[in-house]
Amino acid sequence: MTDETQIASAPPRDNQRDGRAIALGVAGWLVPGLGHALQKMWGRALAFFLTVGVLVFLGAGMRGNLFTSGSGDAFAALGYLADLGTGSFYWLAKYIEVGGPDVSHAYGDYGTRFLAAAGVLNLLAALHAYEAARGRKA
Amino acid sequence: MKFHLSHLQAMLLFALLVSVAFGFLSRRRPLDRAKYIAWSLLLFLLFGIGIGWAMYPFSR
Repeated sequence: MTDETQIASAPPRDNQRDGRAIALGVAGWLVPGLGHALQKMWGRALAFFLTVGVLVFLGAGMRGNLFTSGSGDAFAALGYLADLGTGSFYWLAKYIEVGGPDVSHAYGDYGTRFLAAAGVLNLLAALHAYEAARGRKA
Repeated sequence: MKFHLSHLQAMLLFALLVSVAFGFLSRRRPLDRAKYIAWSLLLFLLFGIGIGWAMYPFSR
């Protein structure tokens, strides 16, 4: 009888933890480092905020290509997904890059890589925050 | 705002920032992180400069 009660009460607790983990992952994606900050992992939060922020700031300042949704070909779509990985910093990059992209110079091409790397790193960080909230990693 | 970085400056900054992020992602203790960051940075630079030199014969 007691076992049945325990089994019946287990799923809601897991669902609650899963929901919180997803919310933390999304928070970490929207604002780099926020998913870790909400779990009081201050060092990681600061590191992800700064590394992703500096990469976006430099990438936009180097006039890298910030892909948009209507680019057309498959590589541009992948680039858009990578850029979207920076979360709210995507719009920060748009705000900084007022002159538009210029990939006719090497630094503009590097800027494109900086922006994409920032997005992919932030997605990794958000996944890490999600896993940490589920108790799989710390 | 414009940054005109050289190839080497861009590579150094990229390698440093990505190494720091990897170090904080994959290691928990500060000493382990520092070692991982240093090792990752060294490998980034070695491979970057190595590939650069490997392409040199085809550049002209």
